[in-house]
Amino acid sequence: MSAVTYLEAISQAIREEMRRDEAVFLLGEDVGTYGGAFKVSAGMLEEFGPERVIDTPMAEAAIIGSAVGAALMGMRPIAEMQFIDFITSGFDQIINMASKMYWRAGMPVPIVIRGPSGGGTHGGPFHSSSPEAWFFHTPGIKVVVPATAYDAKGMLKAAIRDNNPVLYLEHKLLYRMPELREELPSEDYVVPLGKAIMRREGEDMTILTYGAMVHQSLKAAQTLEEEDDLDVEVIDLRSLTPLDRETILESVKRTNKVLIVHEDTLTGGIGAELAAILSEDLFEYLDGPITRVAAPDAPFPYAPPLEDAFLPNEDKILNAARKLAAY
Amino acid sequence: MPTPVKMPRLGESVAEGTVGSWLKNEGDWIERDESLAEIVTDKINAELPSPVAGRLTKILVKVDETVPVGTDIAMIEENADVSASPPAEAAPGPDAAPVESPARANVAVMDNRSATGGGNGAGGATQSAHVGEEERQRISPLARRLAREHGLDLYAIPGTGTGGRVRKDDILAYLEQQAAPAAAVAQPAAPAPAAQPVYSALAAPIEPAYGAPAAPSMAGEDIEIVTPSRMRLAIAEHMVRSKRTSPHATTVVEVDMTNIAKWLEKNKEDFKKREGYSISYVPFVMKAVCEGIRKFPLMNSSWTEDNKIIIKKRINLGIAVATDVGLVVPTIYDADQLTIAGLSKQVNAVAQRARSNKLTVQDMQNSTFVVNNPGTFGTIISVPIINQPNAGILSMDAVVKRPVVIEDDAIAVRYMMYLSLSFDHRILDGAGAGGFLQAVRTKLQSYGREIDVY
Repeated sequence: MSAVTYLEAISQAIREEMRRDEAVFLLGEDVGTYGGAFKVSAGMLEEFGPERVIDTPMAEAAIIGSAVGAALMGMRPIAEMQFIDFITSGFDQIINMASKMYWRAGMPVPIVIRGPSGGGTHGGPFHSSSPEAWFFHTPGIKVVVPATAYDAKGMLKAAIRDNNPVLYLEHKLLYRMPELREELPSEDYVVPLGKAIMRREGEDMTILTYGAMVHQSLKAAQTLEEEDDLDVEVIDLRSLTPLDRETILESVKRTNKVLIVHEDTLTGGIGAELAAILSEDLFEYLDGPITRVAAPDAPFPYAPPLEDAFLPNEDKILNAARKLAAY
Repeated sequence: MPTPVKMPRLGESVAEGTVGSWLKNEGDWIERDESLAEIVTDKINAELPSPVAGRLTKILVKVDETVPVGTDIAMIEENADVSASPPAEAAPGPDAAPVESPARANVAVMDNRSATGGGNGAGGATQSAHVGEEERQRISPLARRLAREHGLDLYAIPGTGTGGRVRKDDILAYLEQQAAPAAAVAQPAAPAPAAQPVYSALAAPIEPAYGAPAAPSMAGEDIEIVTPSRMRLAIAEHMVRSKRTSPHATTVVEVDMTNIAKWLEKNKEDFKKREGYSISYVPFVMKAVCEGIRKFPLMNSSWTEDNKIIIKKRINLGIAVATDVGLVVPTIYDADQLTIAGLSKQVNAVAQRARSNKLTVQDMQNSTFVVNNPGTFGTIISVPIINQPNAGILSMDAVVKRPVVIEDDAIAVRYMMYLSLSFDHRILDGAGAGGFLQAVRTKLQSYGREIDVY
């Protein structure tokens, strides 16, 4: 079996789950005839037919609303946002319907909303966003962000089989990144939602991160080992809701210094909540300030130099880590 | 409501004290200002007077136990019938009573604290709560917890983090250091002083942090390993801190002391017979320093952590006194208000207290400038280290006869002395320091054959 990209891993997951379970179907803009804007669903219309691979109008509220309705009727829809930025058009359906339905009516809403998020591809302000914080704040919906091909497939399968609404954020920069190619198990597997993973072990500092920033953080950790003799642990959160507090606390308790890295903007981001948890639970284990590296509080810029300046990267992580190490 | 008795601050750089002995038992009646306990610190031992009259209801700190300044160490229940003293709540942490210090000494404590408190705005009313403030150190939360768990004195552990912060690594290194000598160096058979464990615990940290060679793990034929006394450690810490805190610059002037020397030769004996204490060059220099400070008030100031300069209006001269166990710098309060004879009397008094180990809390606090006299050992030029948080320190070296070119290019034998001033270059430049020295010299050279020292 050959090594697959992050994008192919997502395709495989959808395909295998649709084969496994008749209730699973895909809907979204251009997912059928066109095979999806990024070709995630290429060939699926041919394999599963127009009733299970549904091209929709450009109306996210309708896409998500239909998915919620279908889920209530026993289906397990996968709703694709062509770019995750457009999820805001379906916000009400997620916040007021999908995430509250089980509490209101006792009826689970097993939907997956997925789509390409993140920047670094010169996509400009409407094609680069990282919307996790809005949904992270909302009870009743899971939010997951895979960073590798293995996780992309395993977590999407877990998301499809989960009885809760799951927001599955793909990072478009990782879709075809050659270094992310990997051979996946030929047998069926899932990556359970709610478990973080240690990507690199260390004792001097913990970096908590997710998504594309996992790779920037790993590069920074490597540099810190080579140039600064620092042993940095990198934890890939993978699942933001539910959050794997156990792994996070265990690591920081050991390293005593923590750097939080995310691509989303700083204020009210995932890092803010992580910082609050850490200061509440581990205050007396901290040997330095909980430090965040994130995008500045500004709309995503279009100009490439501005985009470079805006996004967190290895250099910014290095700077923050060195300051924290010296604290 | 019982009145708490707090651990007093016995000296400016002292953050904690040890109860040497309790002079009263639980249940005993005690008068106000009657001695309640003996307190031992690295600088001095002192008796602690009771802040109120009442019954000692509870002893909270055992003998030989060391606690931070401001900690409640006992509770005294005041009897309502004899409660002529101020309300219990208002009683501040008492300081050990001054023996011979001027009456205003208590006020000085308050003034100085609010001054050295820097920008934290500690007012007089909240003094007792802020006793530890000036000692405040940068410490990570983890380091604080580790120190507590291991019973360590955080102030004894030098920090290597940004801005001198004490971090995990510092605590771990300290614990390692502490373990090493304790295991390897055989303790002498002589009985250890009461607080010995604390002393030896203090020994380790000074070395690694300041890059001194680590102590050899084993004593051998060629070397002897000495665990410094607590006072030696306190001096070491202070010296390193001072050098690290103030950029020292030193400047020297030469002073013609002929007239003073001749006056002393002639009057010294009579003076001692008459007054009961001796007189030397020191009070003359102190007097001149007061004049110099009046002209250059910056010499009597402190640079604060938040980058302000506090100019002190009172001139309290510290005078360095060598004792058997080390150097102490007791304070002569309001030196500018005293005559030369008065200065001489005070210098004699504090030197005597220092040598008999009877210095009080006030003696050890609040100096605003220090005069040091290594000249008694025949030194001719010294480069002194500033007593923090002062702006300067003046060293008087030996007065020796030298051939000197005087007026009209004649050569004469004169009594000459070098005065070396080390000053904090953050506060003053060479011009200010030189001007100050000039004023001191002018004053010293202004005396004629007849000098009125009263």
